[in-house]
Amino acid sequence: MRIKYLSLLACALLSASVIADIAVVVHPSNANAVSADDLNRLFLGRTSSFADGSKATPLNLAEGAAARDEFDSKVLSRSSSQLKAYWSKLVFTGKGTPPKELADDAAVKAAVAADPTAVGYISSSSVDGSVKVVANF
Amino acid sequence: MIKKSLLALSLSALLAAPAYADLTINGFASIKAGMTLDSDDTLYGYDDSLDFKNESLFAVQLMSDLGDKLSVTAQLMGRGADDFDVDFEWAFISYQLTDEVRINAGRLRTPFYKYSDYRDVGYAYDWLRVPQSVYGLGFDNIEGVSLYHTTQLGNFDSSVQLIAGAYDGEASISGTEVNAEIKDILGITWELSQDWYSLRAAYLIGKVSVGAEAVSLQPGVTFGDFFNGLAGAGFSALVNEIDIVEEDGEFFGLGFTVDKNDWLVVAEYTTVKVDNSFIADQKNFYVSLGHRFDTITPYISYEKEDNPAKDEIYTPYQGSLPPSLLLPVVGIVQSQAREATTYNVGLRYDFHPSAAFKVQYSSEDNEIADLRQDVLAFGVDLVF
Repeated sequence: MRIKYLSLLACALLSASVIADIAVVVHPSNANAVSADDLNRLFLGRTSSFADGSKATPLNLAEGAAARDEFDSKVLSRSSSQLKAYWSKLVFTGKGTPPKELADDAAVKAAVAADPTAVGYISSSSVDGSVKVVANF
Repeated sequence: MIKKSLLALSLSALLAAPAYADLTINGFASIKAGMTLDSDDTLYGYDDSLDFKNESLFAVQLMSDLGDKLSVTAQLMGRGADDFDVDFEWAFISYQLTDEVRINAGRLRTPFYKYSDYRDVGYAYDWLRVPQSVYGLGFDNIEGVSLYHTTQLGNFDSSVQLIAGAYDGEASISGTEVNAEIKDILGITWELSQDWYSLRAAYLIGKVSVGAEAVSLQPGVTFGDFFNGLAGAGFSALVNEIDIVEEDGEFFGLGFTVDKNDWLVVAEYTTVKVDNSFIADQKNFYVSLGHRFDTITPYISYEKEDNPAKDEIYTPYQGSLPPSLLLPVVGIVQSQAREATTYNVGLRYDFHPSAAFKVQYSSEDNEIADLRQDVLAFGVDLVF
């Protein structure tokens, strides 16, 4: 019995570590908390400010980047086709533009480290001291 | 020629914008083919031979961010139905007044329906075409100014659009293209959306004029000739009840969408009225149900048109008007009557990150003509 529990626990831990592989990052000087709901609103263009009212600049990873699909499905709960359809509705009607896309984790990290308004996400394994992690998914 | 040089001019103007301006180029396209399933039928621009042109279109959008919250956007579209002649479908400047308020001015889309703004962007919705019973009104574009206000109301995202402007273009009467104008358009739309559903209402008014005079009523006689004849016989009040000269037009629309557990429901109901004209009062609606199975989304929909003719125009004249004048009046008024129901079955298949394949079968039952017509169409919608 005990062995079974142990292996169950190990499974849970393992799968947790697989799931928690996106880190949402901001500039180290940014003191705002960022919830999943905030991320939804920011990355779907429904708001352009942080909780304290200061300007927020969401930065996306390019399609095909490792963390992009994870972010789309876990945080935005949408497939890439659904997101593309969503943005088509705004882009072709003058109601909004999607977040800027950057090629990879290194580019996002550099952009976030250089811009106090930026909010992006990268694979947890890419995190270093140049950025501040505000959420994990 | 004029169109082309205008195009070149505006393209070069956009491209010649200062080097620091951010120029974004996007586009969308639809390649569709379809045909009716019976030799005498014509529906949605199709007949019984397979046609790849009728519903195909290409569009390129250029957006230049001029900084300081100002941007300029031009959307150039070529429709197969117009021989792919390129035209400005949208052309506007946009000013982000505050985080919540954006003002657009120029050539915009009249916001009658839920899908008005992006009805040409097939990739943005699941159907092969928007339901024609509701979306078939025409008058799609407007030259004017629009104010969007988006905010959060409790758990809802609220989006209000105010619009003012004018339409100057064409309308089709009995297959003849005639000038059509709507002046002094004023409208408001309001959409509330939550995580999985949205509600929308739209109300627009305007002064409608349609140059029906040039349309031929019978060989050698136009509407204009007939109106002159009626007026000459002392019935100018009746002419005023029929013709369409700066008449009060009113549009009302309600809609909702649901997207929950991969079930998709969309419905819209619209009414159209043009006072003192032979245009029938229209009450149209559709409801659509779909289900998303990962990359495949099958759907069914039902549409209904209820446009009873305005018999009240001629009934008071049945005693006084000689039959030679009464019969054409009855004919004109009755020509606008329409009762139809349509069923659609189709699916969307997201076979590529930027492209969707669609196929749709539509069957329209015209109850006044007692005619059922079927169209099968398929194709690809993509964005780039």
